[in-house]
Amino acid sequence: MTTTTLPDSPPTLAADSQWAVETHGLTKRFGENIAVNGVELLIPRGCAFGYLGPNGAGKTTLIRVLLGLTHADAGTMSLLGYPVPKQRAAALARVGAIVDEPRFHGHLTGRQNLQLLAAARQPAARDRITPSLERVGILHRADDRVSKYSMGMRQRLGVAACLIGDPQLLILDEPMNGLDPAGMHEMRDMILSLVAEGRTVVLSSHLLDEVERTCDAVAIVDRGNIIRQGPISELLAGASLALQVECSEPDRARALLDATTIGANIQVGQLGLGIELPAGTARDVIAEINRVLVEGGISVYRLQQIQASLESWFLQVTSRLGATE
Amino acid sequence: MTTVSNQPAAPQVAPRGARHDRRGSWVPTGAMIATRFMELRKRRGLMVALMLVTIGIPTVFLVIRLLLHAFAPHSYGPAGGYTVFTGLVAGVLYVFGFIVAATLGATAGSIDLTEGMFRHLVVTGRSRLAIYLARIPAGLAIILPLVAVGFTIVCAVCVFAAPTRLNFNGVNVPVNLSRAGLESWAADNADEVICNFGFRIGPNSPIAAAVNSVPCGNGPNGGPAIVKQPPGFQGPPPASPTQIKDAASLIAGMDYADYTRQFLYPSDSLMIKTGLWIGLEAVVGFMVGLGLGSLIGQRTVAVIIMIVLEIILTPILSRAHLPHLINLQRSVVGLAVAHLEPNGLGFVFGGGGGPDGGRGTSLLVPESKTVAAGVIVAWLVVWTVLGAWRMMTRDA
Repeated sequence: MTTTTLPDSPPTLAADSQWAVETHGLTKRFGENIAVNGVELLIPRGCAFGYLGPNGAGKTTLIRVLLGLTHADAGTMSLLGYPVPKQRAAALARVGAIVDEPRFHGHLTGRQNLQLLAAARQPAARDRITPSLERVGILHRADDRVSKYSMGMRQRLGVAACLIGDPQLLILDEPMNGLDPAGMHEMRDMILSLVAEGRTVVLSSHLLDEVERTCDAVAIVDRGNIIRQGPISELLAGASLALQVECSEPDRARALLDATTIGANIQVGQLGLGIELPAGTARDVIAEINRVLVEGGISVYRLQQIQASLESWFLQVTSRLGATE
Repeated sequence: MTTVSNQPAAPQVAPRGARHDRRGSWVPTGAMIATRFMELRKRRGLMVALMLVTIGIPTVFLVIRLLLHAFAPHSYGPAGGYTVFTGLVAGVLYVFGFIVAATLGATAGSIDLTEGMFRHLVVTGRSRLAIYLARIPAGLAIILPLVAVGFTIVCAVCVFAAPTRLNFNGVNVPVNLSRAGLESWAADNADEVICNFGFRIGPNSPIAAAVNSVPCGNGPNGGPAIVKQPPGFQGPPPASPTQIKDAASLIAGMDYADYTRQFLYPSDSLMIKTGLWIGLEAVVGFMVGLGLGSLIGQRTVAVIIMIVLEIILTPILSRAHLPHLINLQRSVVGLAVAHLEPNGLGFVFGGGGGPDGGRGTSLLVPESKTVAAGVIVAWLVVWTVLGAWRMMTRDA
């Protein structure tokens, strides 16, 4: 049994399932190409969940399947406890989503576009148009035609379109695209505030740094398969251990370490050594490295453990995957 | 922070209120129709084009005729009248009304897809069928008033700027005469009647002599060289003025049936029927355009197909007599609508009621009104089903 850590604020439950998104064996094919391959995905409620993968990995296809934009070829899925597609309408009533880049009727204003979408939702959605526009920071441009909006403003309008439904689950596909650094910061804060309100946010992005700052848990998808998923802290705990060693005579230092049974991957640099240890390596090994070098007559100026980042872990995972194929 | 265990999913129970969520209903809400209407109405270019064709063309045509008649009344006839009405309705409003309605329909059917809004709408959870059906009243609420305004302008000008005297076979004749009145008037205008009214008499007709004694001035240089002669006429017997008047009265009597079908301006009945007929054509154009636009997901191609259908294929198929393809020809919607044309209008595609009240031989491929109505209903149903089906099954 694994555990998933959630924020303290309890979400407002729509159904009795603990999962915001749950899929089993979900498969989508385009001819011979399998875009989504038997995906088992569990996204807990009330958290920010990152959905990562390289281009063409099948991220957007999975989102489209979840939202009923295209049909699945096999498998089962549910959103907020509602089986989809059987209770799709009830599920989507509580879901807001941006898929790919947000596009709207350019000849209408931002407010009119939201009116069009609110009319397709419940009557209360119309009352949320102005607050939603205000929340995403484009209320002052709400009555301008969308054709005059920048990409970043359209992203914000897309989020506003999600919010008018007062969703319990938001699925945002690359929401940072087109945003300047300040806009990305605002978007990140907004996502965190949405999570703090008890909503679940699924963030599909290739901006790993943003995902790491924003999300509690992630799933890595590649070629239609989910290859890892779980809380970021747990996943990074499984990443390899990196050390940076500044020392004299780096070549001789490497030779000394190669002669041991530490089993490290060692790179020689201008200032010293870069050492990568397997995941789960005991901390005593770090002390052993230091001892070997000092006893070998190497002057050790600095020995620093490099904190594993989501990006480095992502690259490790995907490169390992590539190496096995 | 709290911790939840990774247990199998809890039982999936629908929450309270979900049962009352009518989002899955195929019936569009008033708000959906209203906002779709707004979305279409805000398309300035499209609206300008629609207004230009449905209102602008007949208005400009009639204004020019009004001005010409005002400045040179002897050279240019009145702007309105029965003839102008039939010409504008059958020649302009019928064809262009269909095309603009089809353009609006194709726009309504495809634009969500091409502009990326379709995905947003689907994600709301609203029934795709409801999203499709909302476009029908919204689009018709635009095209029908436009056609109605254009048609009303045509009717108004044709009634209020109609000629004050009836021109029957090139002769100004008083209107609303009884048979006796027309015969009496003919006796007083015997030469004009004999020379201009249509008639057919045998060589031994008692009025032959009178007819041939009237010089009609249709010879060279307007001289009295050519005199109407019945077939087999042997020589010009003398005719007294009384005989000539009697002959003119007799001819007027023969033409009375035609005379009663001539109007200074269209009757209320004809205008109402014609308005409904033009409206039907617009509805057909819109619905077919909507279905086609939704089916192929592309406006331009759909509009081109509709124009080709209305301007090229339908006239050809309506006139060509292809025995092996006669049922195919009958299934063309433009031909079916033309068969429902009210009596008294000009020929559409060589058919319809015609200016003679529908007595003339129609050039259309023969088709009963019942079959024509069936063809129209079938087109409406089939294209609506196709468009809705594609909408419901399309990847968003």
